[in-house]
Amino acid sequence: MIRDTRLFLGHELRRTFRNPIWPLFGIVQPVMYLLLFAPLYAGMAFGGDLGRALTMFAPGMLVITALFGTMGVAYGTIYEMRSGVLERIAVSPAWRPSIVLGRMLRDVAVLVVQSLMVILIALLMGLRIGLAGLLLTLLLLAVTGLFASGVAYGLALSLGDENAMGQLMQFFALPLMLLSGALLPMALGPDWLERVAWFTPFYHPVEAGRALFAGDLTNLSIPLAFAIMLGLAALTVTWSVRSLKKITG
Amino acid sequence: MRQIPGLGKTTTIRMLATLIRPDAGTATIAGHDLLKEPGAIRAALGYVSQAGGVEEQDSPRAQVTFAARLYGVADPSEAAGRVLKRFDLAEIADRPGRTLSGGQKRRVAIALGLVHLPPLLFLDQPTTGLDPQNRANLWDRIRELREQGTSVLLSTHYLEEADALCDRLAIVDHGVVVAEGTPAELKREVSGDVVTLRLDEPERAAAALAPLAKDARLDEGVLRVYVDDGEHTLPALLRELQEQGLAIASIALDRATLDDVFLAKTGRSLRDTGAAA
Repeated sequence: MIRDTRLFLGHELRRTFRNPIWPLFGIVQPVMYLLLFAPLYAGMAFGGDLGRALTMFAPGMLVITALFGTMGVAYGTIYEMRSGVLERIAVSPAWRPSIVLGRMLRDVAVLVVQSLMVILIALLMGLRIGLAGLLLTLLLLAVTGLFASGVAYGLALSLGDENAMGQLMQFFALPLMLLSGALLPMALGPDWLERVAWFTPFYHPVEAGRALFAGDLTNLSIPLAFAIMLGLAALTVTWSVRSLKKITG
Repeated sequence: MRQIPGLGKTTTIRMLATLIRPDAGTATIAGHDLLKEPGAIRAALGYVSQAGGVEEQDSPRAQVTFAARLYGVADPSEAAGRVLKRFDLAEIADRPGRTLSGGQKRRVAIALGLVHLPPLLFLDQPTTGLDPQNRANLWDRIRELREQGTSVLLSTHYLEEADALCDRLAIVDHGVVVAEGTPAELKREVSGDVVTLRLDEPERAAAALAPLAKDARLDEGVLRVYVDDGEHTLPALLRELQEQGLAIASIALDRATLDDVFLAKTGRSLRDTGAAA
């Protein structure tokens, strides 16, 4: 089981390294926000102190990286279904869930590297963050990425159609991003909006990320975010493995 | 295996390859029970789907080596090199999959299914979409495999392909095996020769010729009369038609083909079912 998952992970990572341009595209959007939007944010609410503004703003950009970066990769799986690649590897003696698990772990690994790059840029712009906070943030992002990846593969494998998948993603991605408070904290809005936001998944890692970046490591939002993301990741990973089963028996 | 498109060839093969769980029934593949030991079947099986499963970005070498790894082959790169060479792919082994021609891709697909040297190989419509030259080349490869002791389960909707390659043949129609045997046996069953006639009153002609033939079938205005010895029966047939005053538009004498077997067993000609997929 572990051997097969490692095999698929290694194979997928090698493919990613051969074509490293796509993961770079994945961070263009959050980096643009950091470079071109965070300074406005600093001017509006932090008296021009960009470092302090980034403590508030960068965690949201990292969650956006997890949300958009991970969802794109499952498109490749739809191609693999149509070209018979998935079927071919499903007939091998390899443990079938490892086919999906290896791909998800690749996505998580890529996401961690992407996050490090985004954080590095934020640091260069003046962000200050403790090591413990940084490591916990990366861990939380990895779990968030696993959840997003689970959704993406589950959708890809059960829909089997790029167009339907694109429509669904677009339909959900924007409201989920707005309600996560990635751009502006939900606390700035009316109570009802924050209450609605609480029930959307990405609100929690953004809140926890802000606490972690601020050095407030005992903040309750942190264990809450970990618990919710771990639970959702477990659900969606199971879902995508089941969806694979439906097409490969 | 030989069947009309859309009637379950691929589904049958996918089921036997452990990709679909059957609702009922049993099957033994390479000595293992399909329901109880799917793992053992997968290890003993090479499966080449109609789509082929060749990746666009990766080179054939990378893909075949990885397939060898998945099957736990002792020396994956060596095994990959060997099977690529065997299918004349050594020169193009390091190009990305998307740059390969249809015939090359098909050979890569088969190399992917054979890298672990399975005793049993499933080929689902392997020559569909290939030009005649590549088709002939692939036929030779499949014969070679057979001679070297690999059991090959081949599905096709080309009757001449089944005739050329198969030791045993099953004709499946609407999910039911309607005929089974060696191609020679099946052809003998139908009859040695077939006289194909086009005339104005085929129904009356069929009735008139029936006593002289083993079987006579009317298929869209074309009368096919099956006889044991065409050369000697033909004059008698012509005489009978003349006596009945039936005018012939055209007449042809051929050896019975699997197409005739198909017609005899299913009541339809393969050409009429839109089989040219």
